[in-house]
Amino acid sequence: MGQGGEPRRAHAYDGELGAAVARAQDGDEAAFAVAYRIVQPGLLGYLRGIVGDDAEDVASDAWLEIARDLGRFKGDGAGFRGWTATIARHRALDHLRRLRVRPRSAALEQDVLDLPGAYSTHDQALETLSTERAMELVRGLPRDQAEAVLLRVVVGLDGPAAARVLGKRPGAVRTAAHRGLKRLARQLGVEGVTDDGRRTLGDSK
Amino acid sequence: MGERMSGGGDRGRRRAHPGASVSGSHGAGDDTAVEELLAAALRTGTTADADEGERRAVAAFLAARDSGAHHARTRRRDDWRPRGQRHASRSLKATLSVLVASLTLGGVAVAAIGSAGSSTDARDDTGRQRQSASASQKPEAAPSVTPSPSASSSTDRDRPVNAQDTEAHCRAYQQVKGRGKALDATAWERLVTAAGGEENVTAFCAAQTASASASPSSGTPSSGSGQDKGDKAGEDSGNGSGQQKPEAEKTPEAEKTPEAKGKNQ
Repeated sequence: MGQGGEPRRAHAYDGELGAAVARAQDGDEAAFAVAYRIVQPGLLGYLRGIVGDDAEDVASDAWLEIARDLGRFKGDGAGFRGWTATIARHRALDHLRRLRVRPRSAALEQDVLDLPGAYSTHDQALETLSTERAMELVRGLPRDQAEAVLLRVVVGLDGPAAARVLGKRPGAVRTAAHRGLKRLARQLGVEGVTDDGRRTLGDSK
Repeated sequence: MGERMSGGGDRGRRRAHPGASVSGSHGAGDDTAVEELLAAALRTGTTADADEGERRAVAAFLAARDSGAHHARTRRRDDWRPRGQRHASRSLKATLSVLVASLTLGGVAVAAIGSAGSSTDARDDTGRQRQSASASQKPEAAPSVTPSPSASSSTDRDRPVNAQDTEAHCRAYQQVKGRGKALDATAWERLVTAAGGEENVTAFCAAQTASASASPSSGTPSSGSGQDKGDKAGEDSGNGSGQQKPEAEKTPEAEKTPEAKGKNQ
């Protein structure tokens, strides 16, 4: 159910994107710019989740490769999202290897875990959740969950496409995305009812 | 006391359960809510030099286009068509390659039949004829190559297969001897091996013919199976003769005429 919601939004552009990609493959640079504008925000969001502030540079590298290999691509708009996400991911992993970045610090994760409780309802959270805050939360997740969530929510891929990008089985990716979203929901205080239940149980003892 | 504790525990559990179930249903719905939240926050995060990125990407696109890089071959990882289409094209490829392989193997098999069983010659235009000739070789060769009055068609069929083969080969050998390629065929090689050398073939054949005509009665007990074989082979040769006749008429050569006669009988 949650799976249908997000891709649907991305799919709104997929027809336009597919047409733009087809024209770009015929040599139309204006169409390529259109495809760039449609894809880049999601790609950049995904890359921020992996490489943080270096996302712009990595995305730039990825686009050089996308522009070079565009003739090889076969597929529609949704397929183009998956193809570009795969290229971006490879560039991001190359980047991480080059930097030899140590694993994300536990301190950040702990900060994030301490913060929830500020939002009592998700309507309030929706109003106040900033890009930085959201990215902090997502980067606080284990890598596989963070990537699964970002591919689904930000890039707009469906389960099988996300699994192909990550080189994993669709079931594993679906589970990772679900766990990641669950955890984010808890941190955002969206699941107030559960907390009440636990507190009541604790009081009664 | 114990009752109170257990009662309290029950109450707590009872209250916890509805909470859990509600949160469960909310949790499923909240996947969507959180997704909306994150998407709204994360997808808008473009920066000031977004135009710069677009400009560079388009420049790379133009460079690749003008250098012909866009005509590169699609690798497997570049094929993001829906699963059905990818499979369809792959299965079409697979079907075609299986078809080609089976045709190739089939051709080899047919060619092997022709070269192993041929008793006529090695000329190129007899490929079709060989299929039937190899099946009907024994009965058709026997009547034509044994002109002696003692060898009627019925006694020929009763003969041991080996003697008949060798005798047929001997007769044909005399006809095609000295014509080159024909002696390269496997049948001739066998004959020459059996005779112990090419110069001994004539003597060997003479001995075979003598012994074969001297012992027609030895094959009588096996007449039942021999008859079956003959009948079956006769049918085959009947099928084959239709194909063969026009060719035989066009090229009335020495080694073909006896065979045509044999089939007409």
